[in-house]
Amino acid sequence: MTELERRYLRLLWAYPAAYRRARGAEIVGTYLDLAAPGRRWPTPADAVDLARGGLAARLRAAGATDLLPGVRLAAALAFVTATALAAIWTVLEVQPPNPEFDLPTFGQLHSVGVVVWAAWLLAALAYALAPHRVARATRWAAVLLTALVTPVAALAGLPRPPLLLLVPQLVLGLVALGLPRRPPVWARVAPLLVAALAAAVGVHWFGREVFGTDYYGFLVLQAPVVVAVVLLLATIVLALDRARRRDFRGGWALLILLTPIGLLAVRELAGSVERNPDWATLAATAAAVGLLGPGLLLAALTARLQVLPERPTPPCPTCGSSR
Amino acid sequence: MDTPLREPTYLILTALAGEPMHGYGLIGEVAALSDGRVSLRPGTLYGALDRLVDAGLVEVDREEVVDGRLRRYYRLSPDGSGTLAAETERMRRNVEAATTRLRQRAGTTTRLAGGLA
Repeated sequence: MTELERRYLRLLWAYPAAYRRARGAEIVGTYLDLAAPGRRWPTPADAVDLARGGLAARLRAAGATDLLPGVRLAAALAFVTATALAAIWTVLEVQPPNPEFDLPTFGQLHSVGVVVWAAWLLAALAYALAPHRVARATRWAAVLLTALVTPVAALAGLPRPPLLLLVPQLVLGLVALGLPRRPPVWARVAPLLVAALAAAVGVHWFGREVFGTDYYGFLVLQAPVVVAVVLLLATIVLALDRARRRDFRGGWALLILLTPIGLLAVRELAGSVERNPDWATLAATAAAVGLLGPGLLLAALTARLQVLPERPTPPCPTCGSSR
Repeated sequence: MDTPLREPTYLILTALAGEPMHGYGLIGEVAALSDGRVSLRPGTLYGALDRLVDAGLVEVDREEVVDGRLRRYYRLSPDGSGTLAAETERMRRNVEAATTRLRQRAGTTTRLAGGLA
């Protein structure tokens, strides 16, 4: 056995043990057939491919094959939502601030958040027009900028959007990293179209603000709640429609999206605990949402694994016996 | 299995329509059929083959050991053949409709250009 073969066999850890016994030699054999002469190490892309294949095989063994399509559906909905929000906040950024409030500004704009929103709109443009690698890189850049804007603004003494908007945007962005590699054309252009629609709604919406427009305006703070409700309803409708065909990916998507939906509506949720929630109540509510959402997903996954007995996978593909 | 088929799935079935193939051969054939656009990795390929076997579209043909390496050959099942034919027919109709429209459009553009000149 060569060193390369041994290393590929080690990478098969991601697969269930029964699968490794039945298919491991075949998978590694194919990798060895593809390897250039003299190569000693698997490439990082091989490691990712095997980790992904192993996860898929484990989900298949557990009868949860609809989880990965659910992740992709959640990613698509999260990306559309993130770009729509970015379009709304870009509209807000270019509205003239109310001079009576004497709030700090970022040049002619409200805050440094405009860089984050622009990154999300660029990611939507890249998703529609650019090759997969470029589009993926722009999504990662948007996520990193969303995560870094708070510490950078603090260090540089610049105004930034409130965490009430940045935290759900970051979580939506993380979910959106699971977008499929080759989406259909309509799915590629949908984020741009929805962003354009959201920008038009934003112009109308912020025009009704009585005391000037900033991130803490009454109507402005309602926008994420409206977006949360729209996202929740759209996901439920999609989930029910799919479920009629015994396709439960929508249910998984709903469970995944509950966290960002809860974070978008965190002010309303905190308001149900305390009439005028202070910072501590908001933070506690956001933490509760951040624990409950993933907790529900984990509980559903565990229940699924227990309800459906492990399939005898893989029976030997040749003779059909389960070894 | 959901239709329309995703492109890699369609190409795997197309590759197997010729003759039974093993994983390494399938990867090369899919790349050739797609002019190098679709490059499958083994982890992805075997995941797709698992789903196709589950759906009854692909069957295992035979096993061989070549240079100490296990090679398992896969073939298109009768159901797989039917699905591939139906999917190809659907795509053929789409191509025909698009070609007709484009031809009409080209004709209109030429006439307009002639009229303006």
